[in-house]
Amino acid sequence: MAEALDFPAPQHSPPVWLAAALEQAVLDVRGLLAAGSDPLGALMEAADGVSFGGFLVVDAPFNPSPLRRILAARGFSSYGRRLGGSHWRIYFHLNGAADWEHDSDVAVMDGGAMLWREEDGLHIDVRKLRPPQPMLAILRLIDGDAALQALVVHHERHPQYLLPELAERGWSVARVSEEFQDVRLWLERKS
Amino acid sequence: MFGGAFMMGAKDRLLPPAIPFRFFATAIVYHLAGWAVLLWAADGLPGYQGGLGPVLAALHLITLGVLAMTAMGAAYQMLPVATRRPLGPAWACSLSWWLFAPGVAVLSFGLADGALWALHGGATLAIGGLALFGGLVARNLMRVSDLPAVTGPVWVALASLLAVLVLAGLLIADVGQGFLPDRASLAAAHGVLAGYGFMGMLVMGFSAVLVPMFVLAPAIPDAQAKPVVMVAAMALAAGASGAVLGWAWLAGLGALLGLVAALLYLRLQRRVLAARMRKRLEPFFRLLKGGWTALPLSLLAAVILALGPWPHVSGPVWGLLLVVGWLLSFATGILQRIMPFLASMHSAARGGKPVLLSHLTAQPVLMVHAVAHAGALVLLLTAIGVDSALIARLGALCGLAGALAFAVFAIIMMVRYRAHHRSQ
Repeated sequence: MAEALDFPAPQHSPPVWLAAALEQAVLDVRGLLAAGSDPLGALMEAADGVSFGGFLVVDAPFNPSPLRRILAARGFSSYGRRLGGSHWRIYFHLNGAADWEHDSDVAVMDGGAMLWREEDGLHIDVRKLRPPQPMLAILRLIDGDAALQALVVHHERHPQYLLPELAERGWSVARVSEEFQDVRLWLERKS
Repeated sequence: MFGGAFMMGAKDRLLPPAIPFRFFATAIVYHLAGWAVLLWAADGLPGYQGGLGPVLAALHLITLGVLAMTAMGAAYQMLPVATRRPLGPAWACSLSWWLFAPGVAVLSFGLADGALWALHGGATLAIGGLALFGGLVARNLMRVSDLPAVTGPVWVALASLLAVLVLAGLLIADVGQGFLPDRASLAAAHGVLAGYGFMGMLVMGFSAVLVPMFVLAPAIPDAQAKPVVMVAAMALAAGASGAVLGWAWLAGLGALLGLVAALLYLRLQRRVLAARMRKRLEPFFRLLKGGWTALPLSLLAAVILALGPWPHVSGPVWGLLLVVGWLLSFATGILQRIMPFLASMHSAARGGKPVLLSHLTAQPVLMVHAVAHAGALVLLLTAIGVDSALIARLGALCGLAGALAFAVFAIIMMVRYRAHHRSQ
C-alpha cells in the first residue's frame, strides 16, 4: 500500500519542535480565502499573541510562502506539510527563526497518521493519536504491503504494546532514538 | 515552552512485571479457592437468599479474589498507557496487593465461619487495599481530560467503589451488633453497586481501549460513549436507591435502565468488532461473547427479582448470571489474553527477542477451561431451577475443573516464558 503512494523525492526530517506543535489548535484560513477575504490581518493578530517558544498552526489551500517569509522576519521558523492536493498545514514556532523553513509532502492515513519518504525509507508519524490508533496505523501499513521491508516510526513514547504484534508478524525494532516527544523506531522485516 | 504538553518519559509507564503478575497469579489461586469452597458448600446454593456461610465466602473469593484482583492488576498496567499519564509509585501498587490479597483470604474465612476477628481484620485489609487502588486510579484520571470514553465509566466505577466500601464496612460492623434496621436491603445495594457499578463500569471503561486494541479496530468515539455512561449511572443510582429504600418499583426501574445501558454498550462493542482489522477473532473471544450474552440476561433476572416473584430462584439466578456468567467470563477471557501479551511485551522491553504470544498461549488447555466454565454455569442454573444439591455439586465440580485448567495454562505460560528468557 505504502509503496504505491506517489511520494516525491526524499525529504528532510521534521524539526524536533514539531512534536510540541502537533497539539496546538489550528487556524484554518481556507474559508476566508474562499470567500474572497484576505486573512493576513487575522494571521498577524494570531502571531502577535504568540510568546517566545510558542506555536501557531495554520491551514491554507496552498503553501503560503509570502506569509512564511513575513513571519520568519519576525522570528518564526516554519514547517509545512501538504496534507492533500490543495490543503497545506504550516507549523510556525517562535524561536528566532533558527530553523526557518522546511516543507514536506505527506499522505494522511485514515485516523490521522502521516506518511512520507526520506533517504532512509518510509516514515510514519503517529504522535498525538489516541490509543489504539498508533498501533492500528502501523500494523495496517505493515499488513497491507508484503513488499515493505523497513519503516521508521515517529512516536511520542515507546510503543510497548506494539512489540508483541510486531514479533507475531516477523518484524523487529532495529534501532531506537529518543528525543523529547519524538521516539523514532527503525522497524525491519526479518528475512 | 511546551505549554500544556506534560508528558512522562517514554519508558516510565511500564510497571515492573512483578506487580501486575502478582495480582494475576493471586487471582488464579482465588479462582481455584472460590470453586473449591462452592463445591464444599454446594448444598446451600439452590434457594440461597444471603447470610453468612460458605456460599457467601465462595462468592467473595470470586468477586474480590478473582474479579477485583484482576481489575487491579490490569488497571495498574493498562490505565497509564491508555491515558498517557502516570498512575502512581510502584510501591503504592505493591502495597495495595499486600493489603488486599491477605485481606480477601481472612475476610472469606470470616464470612464462612462468622469469626468476628476475621471479619473485622479481613475487611479492614481488603477495604484498605481497594481504597488505595481507588485513590491511585483517581489520581491518574484527574490528569486526563481527553479520553471520556475511558474516564467516564471509570469515574462512575470509582464512585460506586466508594459506596461499596462504605456499605461493606457497615455490613461487617453490623455482624454481632445488629444495629442495621434492614440488613438485607443494604446487602442488595452492596451487590448491585459492586457488580454493575464497580466491576461493570470498569469493564465498560477498559472495553473502550482493550477490545479495539485486541481486534485492531478504531477506538469508540467519545460522542457515542457518553450517553451510555449517563444511562448506566442513572441505572445504578435508581437500582441502588431502590434496594436501600426497599422500593421495588425504583429497583426495577434501575434494572430496566441498566438493561438499556447494557444494550447500548453491546451495540458499541458490535460496531468495534465490525470495524476490526483482525479478521479472525482469537479464541479468548468466546468467553467475552459469553459474558456479553449473560449481561442482559442478568439484568432481566434483576427485573424479575425486583418485581418479587420466586425470589428463591430469581435471587440466586441473578447473582450467578451477574458474577459467573457476565463478570467471571469476561475477566478470565481478558486474563488469558493479557497475561501472555504482557509477558511478550516485557520480554521485548528487556532488549531481547520477544517471545511470541502464540508460543505462550496453550490453546487446548484454555478450551478445557471454556467448556468447563460454560458447563458450570449451565449446571448451577439448572440446580437452582430444580432445587438440586447434586446438580449444584456437579456444577461446582465443573467450575473447579475449569479453574484447574486455567491454572495449568498460567503455569505453562510461565515455564515457556522462563525458558525463552534463559535462552536469550
